[in-house]
Amino acid sequence: MLISKLKEALICFKNLRVTLPYPTQPANPAEGFRGRLEIDLNKCIGCGACANACPPRLIIVTNLDSRRTFDFILGKCTYCARCADVCPEHAITMSQEFELATADKSDLNISVELNMVKCQECGTAFTTKRIVDKLVAILPEKIEIEPTAIDWLTLCPDCRRIKEVHRLTEVEK
Amino acid sequence: MPPRAKYIRTTLLELERIHSHLLWLGIAGHIIGFETVLMQAWRIREPVMWLCEQITGNRKTYGMNLIGGVRRDITTGQYPKIIEVVSKIEAQLKELINAIAGDTTLHMRLKNVGVLSPSAAKELCPVGPTVRGSGIAIDSRINHPYASYLETPPKLITKPDGDVWARTLVRLEETFESIRIVKLALEQMPSGEIMADVKEITPWQEGISYVEAPRGEAIHYVLTGPDNRPYRWRVRAPSYPNLQAVPTMLKGNFIADAPIIIGSIDPCFSCTERLEVVDTKTKKIRVYSQDELREMSRKR
Repeated sequence: MLISKLKEALICFKNLRVTLPYPTQPANPAEGFRGRLEIDLNKCIGCGACANACPPRLIIVTNLDSRRTFDFILGKCTYCARCADVCPEHAITMSQEFELATADKSDLNISVELNMVKCQECGTAFTTKRIVDKLVAILPEKIEIEPTAIDWLTLCPDCRRIKEVHRLTEVEK
Repeated sequence: MPPRAKYIRTTLLELERIHSHLLWLGIAGHIIGFETVLMQAWRIREPVMWLCEQITGNRKTYGMNLIGGVRRDITTGQYPKIIEVVSKIEAQLKELINAIAGDTTLHMRLKNVGVLSPSAAKELCPVGPTVRGSGIAIDSRINHPYASYLETPPKLITKPDGDVWARTLVRLEETFESIRIVKLALEQMPSGEIMADVKEITPWQEGISYVEAPRGEAIHYVLTGPDNRPYRWRVRAPSYPNLQAVPTMLKGNFIADAPIIIGSIDPCFSCTERLEVVDTKTKKIRVYSQDELREMSRKR
């Protein structure tokens, strides 16, 4: 019994205090830590891949008056970083920040608003301007297209379909 | 699933068991007022939390598994660090056990307390260290091997006595066994991909899986829905079957021993809360909606 107590005391004296001096000194998480998510507004093209991948579905996409809004309701975020994984533009990154306690959950929310493009035919806003710009920038390098085909990018999927049907029926005539 | 992903899953499952059993040891010490055990067990445990943060990006909620594999690779550069951390835990835990094993205070509080006999255990079907402490040799890792457990089989640890001390010993020996498996998995880890090519998940398919969590067999049921998402997901956490054995364990014991007896199953009440509201007079069962429950919890 006494020997046990002595051994226990020895372990305690050998290790003494091991707690870190946090918060008087900062505690930095390991590299690759998944902290509060950050969005580079200049990089986001508004494709919505993040909203599609988010397991708790907290990224809400709304299209209103030719503006596409992404609302990140981060009070429910589990910091799984799936959004960062799937973002094709690497606009989402996980920071090292973990001190996120707040009395108001909405403090954490992030909102991204992007301009949309209206369809040349029917006038519906169907995608973001940045996606169209991106497509215009990368298309000619990858595939050869006729100059008028660029106009197709300014058509909504429905009008593209209708126009293509018209074109094909004209060819048959 | 690529073999490397299976080994990574095994490594993480065992790292999780190491930290969970050490956490339990600390809490058990705290419950019986033996704070040295709490302080020292948690001191020994902390490096494994830091290690998991390095490997996965978080201390807990690793977020490593995806359908078809794992999201992050364990790089060969990380192997020495993992071996170093688990080896240190092994040495320090041995030292701690060597000190406390002969402590008669512990024996008086834990031996012949909360006994679950092997026959009662068979009847009540608890899982994990709770049932293995009653001499019943079941473990999902061995009975239905998943991840890489066929190639890295763990040794099944049982103790026949069925008291709190037996469950303690099972957990302690399992911690060493986990350390051995982590080392073995790293040694045998095949190279290659960590994710299978999974495109779309067929909706309206059912799946059931079992994992030997630190507390025992955890069962997850999933019904897939549209858009690559689960439609229904139900978990039977190991604390649920383990709790069924608690009344038998408590019978004939002192009230002062109730906390450590309940604690000896390593319960997670938040995982397993299932309750029914019955009006004792009319015997009517009432179902509360999510909104009602939220309202009640906020009013207090």
